[in-house]
Parts: sequence; structure tokens; C-alpha cells
Amino acid sequence: MNKRARFAFTAALVASAWGIAAPAARADETCLSPYTASLIKGQEAYLHVWALGEKGLGDESDKLVTIDADPKSKTYGKVVSSVSVGGRGEAHHMGFTDDRKYLWAGRLDDSKIFIFDVGTDPAHPKLINTVTDLTEKTGYVGPHTFYAIPGRMVIGTLSNDKSRDGVTGLAVYNNKGEFLSAHPIPTDNGGDGYGYDIAINPQKNVFLTSSFTGWNNYMMDLGKLIKDAEAMKHFGNTMVLWNLKSMQPEKIFSVPGAPLEIRWSLKEGDDWAITASALTSKLWLISHDANNEWQAKEVGTIGDPAKIPLPVDISISADGTKLWVNTFMDGTTHLFDISDPTKPVQIYEKVTGKQVNMISQSWDGKRVYITSSLLQHWDKTGADNEQVLRAYDWDGKDLKPTFEVDFFKEKLGRPHHMKFSGPATKASLDVPRRAASR
Amino acid sequence: MTIRARVFGALCMGFAAWAGFVMANPAVAAETGAGLALPAPGSYTLDHIQPVPFGIVLDGNRFPRMLSHYTSGKITLLAFFYSTCADPRGCPLAWEAFEHVREAILAQPELHGRARLVFLSLDPEHDTPDVLKNFTRGYEASASLVPWYFLTTYSYLFLNPVLRKMGEEISIDREASGTDRLVLNHLLKVFLIDQRGWVREIYSNQSLDPAAILGDIKTLAIEAANGDGRRR
Repeated sequence: MNKRARFAFTAALVASAWGIAAPAARADETCLSPYTASLIKGQEAYLHVWALGEKGLGDESDKLVTIDADPKSKTYGKVVSSVSVGGRGEAHHMGFTDDRKYLWAGRLDDSKIFIFDVGTDPAHPKLINTVTDLTEKTGYVGPHTFYAIPGRMVIGTLSNDKSRDGVTGLAVYNNKGEFLSAHPIPTDNGGDGYGYDIAINPQKNVFLTSSFTGWNNYMMDLGKLIKDAEAMKHFGNTMVLWNLKSMQPEKIFSVPGAPLEIRWSLKEGDDWAITASALTSKLWLISHDANNEWQAKEVGTIGDPAKIPLPVDISISADGTKLWVNTFMDGTTHLFDISDPTKPVQIYEKVTGKQVNMISQSWDGKRVYITSSLLQHWDKTGADNEQVLRAYDWDGKDLKPTFEVDFFKEKLGRPHHMKFSGPATKASLDVPRRAASR
Repeated sequence: MTIRARVFGALCMGFAAWAGFVMANPAVAAETGAGLALPAPGSYTLDHIQPVPFGIVLDGNRFPRMLSHYTSGKITLLAFFYSTCADPRGCPLAWEAFEHVREAILAQPELHGRARLVFLSLDPEHDTPDVLKNFTRGYEASASLVPWYFLTTYSYLFLNPVLRKMGEEISIDREASGTDRLVLNHLLKVFLIDQRGWVREIYSNQSLDPAAILGDIKTLAIEAANGDGRRR
């Protein structure tokens, strides 16, 4: 062992002795799996947008669109690449693998899952694999949430291939796209079996799932659905607390009105998560009481629930004190102060579109991005069917527009879910191969 | 003072410092309060995530062996490391967890001889068999109960395919590296491998809990005792 080696190894051990330990950050850009590598705490370089193809527009295919998000770049705010995957299957959500090299993107109609390499050259993702066996292996339909755990992807699904209602489960695949196991969402002890989002808290050995609706409803025209009293009964009204190690359900919470996205507070020492129920327009807090018993409690209202504003996405700040909420029907972006998560207070709102859906913020909270599309058959029609990605700067008082991409004008389709990538670094392209490389 | 004596002295200093850390921080990711209890060993199953790939490795005796020699026949806890790693979220964290698991196995006779620990170097150019022999020496006394192997490869030509198939990506951090210091970007992953050579759990720095690892080792031991564990 030479001098360099002795020094570094001993230094490492001494550093450990000083108590320098791994940070307990649970997430990345505020809403990803806590196992995701390479936090982007500065300026994001690219936005990846999973877009639904539109008949009569461009190549009509679902596609992964990449937009330059670096203000210092010559192509800032412009589309730098687009990868069509063929056909239209209700493109919806995406999730990074734990190493952040690959991005999995799902379609709710045909249940296909597309795996893109975004790590090698984030400006130009490449489709490297398509997973087509989800329904064959599990009986589940509608891969929605892609949540990384080490070496694997947990997939939250929305439906099943028999009744096509909302009874469904979780599927686990390895990072190569090979099926490993299925875990049904409970239908007993008060469970409705419905699924939607997944959110893990490794320190507590728990994860939460929420519940939406099945293929019969999410593929139905929204106007028709609202008038169908029987169909409207088929929405999720529960959340489930799971034992992470055993992947077994431990407790079921009654959360009426389709609780959707779940966000754990990222603040060190916090042990709570928050969600919004779409149909009832409420904020719900999931936390433990003085007896360490986990509970779900309604803590706030979003807009006027009587008008069904339909909160569809939420984004929590890195310090756990603010929560952005997008309400689809009135095209409004809301900001809540959740410093006291038991008493959220709305402190800002702005109409950001004729219809707004997903919302993502940078780690520092200074930039906010929204997209317009909810579901192909739920989006508005006519002049209200604008399909855009809008970027804003948040100065603490107001959302200031920075750039916009009109997806219809660019013949790209309907933009839904967004993920960030950093710039391609020399290191990421530079795997050691030989001694001379040093 | 000979080089070997100086190396041993440095290691002793390091281990003493590290031991102080372990004493002060008895668990890496232990949880109390509202956390859900870990399930009883054997009450749950672990997925067959992927097989350990083919590879040729070197131990401290310079003998080339198949990687499978160190990843089958017993329950194996394997991590990638490099001896000059100074990232407290990386190799030292894995080392600490391994030491906890080793001590726990030593305290439980039913696990003696049923598990092994393996560190495989990410830096074959520096971490030669001679260098790694110094690490092995510290654990020779208990090797019959729970061996800890420190392995390397001939070169990156041999290492890279193993890394790629295990899902362990690495790259040189050229900004942090200097002429006398190599810094490798890598995501901490610790692999639990069953006696048939299948990866059954992967731990990151968010889940590197020695209690959970020990429970998983016992689960695999129970599975093997029951004649289970074949991939569906």
C-alpha cells in the first residue's frame, strides 16, 4: 500500500470516526424515490416530458420529448430531441431507476413500459427496451407509478384484465426489465384494492399507496363519466400503509375521493406525508400519533370542493414547508404553507392555463414547471384544449413565466409527466478501461 | 520500519478510529418509534433479482478463481469498494455495516459457516492482491466461522463486465481526482446472494441496516434448510 492509499483509507476511517454519516435525504427534486442517485440541487439541464400522441398531429405517436432547461444554453426553452415509441397507449407517468441512468415510462391503455437510457446522453435519450409482459405476469393493467428501489422498480398499477375496475396491485421488476413479483392491494379489512401512487420512507420501514380508478373509468370520456352514477362509485377511497421489508399491508386508511400523489416531508426528523384527494378536493396528512400509531387525517381544503376543481398533482418543497397544488378544471396553481402540516394555509394562487395537470419544482424551489394534459379522454375540448408546458421562476411572491412549449403547435401531442436531468458530464461518459486512463 | 509494518500500523490506526465510530453509532439505519418492525426471519420471501454473472477474480494469494467460487455454496454479502475511497456515504458505510453483520453472525452459532462476506475492488490497478492481503489478515482469526474475502481483478477489462451485469456503474470523477488521488463515482450497493448464486436483496445507503441484513440472511438460511429457494 503506497502513501496515497494509506492516507486516503485512514482519512476515510477517521472521517467516519468524526461522525460524518450519510445524509438522510429521502428524495430527490422533492418527489422521487429516496433511493434515486445524483440529486439535482442546482440548475436542471433538461426536462423530459412523456407525451400522448395525438391523431392527425405529427407522427401521431406517444413520445419522450426532451427540452433544454438551462437558461445559459443557446437552445434554452427549445425541444432538443424527441423519441417516438410507436402507437398511442395513454402515455402517463415515468420514473428513474435508482442509478438515474434509465427512465421508465408507462402507458395506461396497452400497459406497455418503455425504458429509455437518459444517463448516457440526457439531451438525446434512447429507447433501449420495451416491457410488454406486465398483464401476462400479474393480471394487472395500467402501469402508473414507477418507484425505484435498489436494483429494482416497483410499479403501481391502476386496474386488472378481468373486470377492468380499480382492483389492482404492485409489480416488482429488476432494472433489466424482468418480472420478479406481484403484490395485490388488499380488498379485505376495509381495503378497496385500488392503486395509484407509491411513496417509501426507508427509515420507518414503511411505504404508502393511494387509490384512483380503473381502466373502465380512466379510458371513458369525462363528461360521460360524470353523468354515470354507477361508474362514479368506482373510485378509490383508501390509502394503505405497508411494511417495506415484507411488502405486506399493515393498515388501511379511509381517505374518500381518490387520493392521488403522496409526498413525504423531506425535512430531517419529519415523519409525515401529505396527499390530495381529487374528487373531494381535500388535503390529507398521514402521520403517527403519540402512541406511534399511524393515522390519516383531513387537514385542509383546496379551492371550492363544491365546484370539483380536481386537484391532480402536488409538489412539496425540499424543506417541507410549502406545497404546490394544480387543480385541473379551473387551470389554477395554488401554493400552501404547510409549515404546520396539520393546518395548511393557501398563500398564493394563479391561473396558469385553461387546464393544468402535473407540477414539478426544482430542489431550490426557484423554478416551477407545469403541463396541461390529464388523460386523453379527460382533457378539455375545443379552445380549452391547450396542450403546453409552461416554465416559471418563483421569486417567493409570484410565478414569472420564463418559457413555454406549445405541444400542439410543435406537433408533439399532449404533455403529461416531467422529469429532470442534469448535464452530461465527462465523468458519466468515462468508465475506466485501462491504466493509462489516469 | 518496513512497508508492511507501516501499512499494518496505518490500518491499526484506521480500525481504531473506525471502531470508535461504531461504538458511538451502534446502527447505520436502525429505527425506533413509529417505524414498523422488521418481519420475523422466514416469514417473508426475497425476490430472485438476478444471477451473479460470470467473472474471474483474484484473492490475496494471486490465484485466479471464478467469481462464483465466492458467491455460491453459502449466503454471501458482497460489496464493491476501493481501498482509497474517502466518501463517507460509500465504502466506509459499507465497511461499518459489514462489521456489524460479522459480529452478529459470530454471536449466533447457528449461522457459523453458513455465510461469507466479500469485498470486490473497483480499483484493480491499485488494489492488487498484495494490497488486499493486508485487509484479509485482520479477519483471519474468525475466517472459519464467517470468512471475509477481499478480492480484485486483473484489470478493468475483467471488472467492467461484472459491474455492468450487477448494475453497478462507475466512472472517474476527474474534478475530484488528482495526480495522487483517484475518486470513483459509484452508487453504494450491497448485494445479498443466496447459496445458489442469486442476488436476493440489494441495499443502498438508505437501507443499509445491519438488523435488516441479518434478518434477510436468516431468512435465506431458513429457506435453504427447508429445501426452498429455487427460482420459480
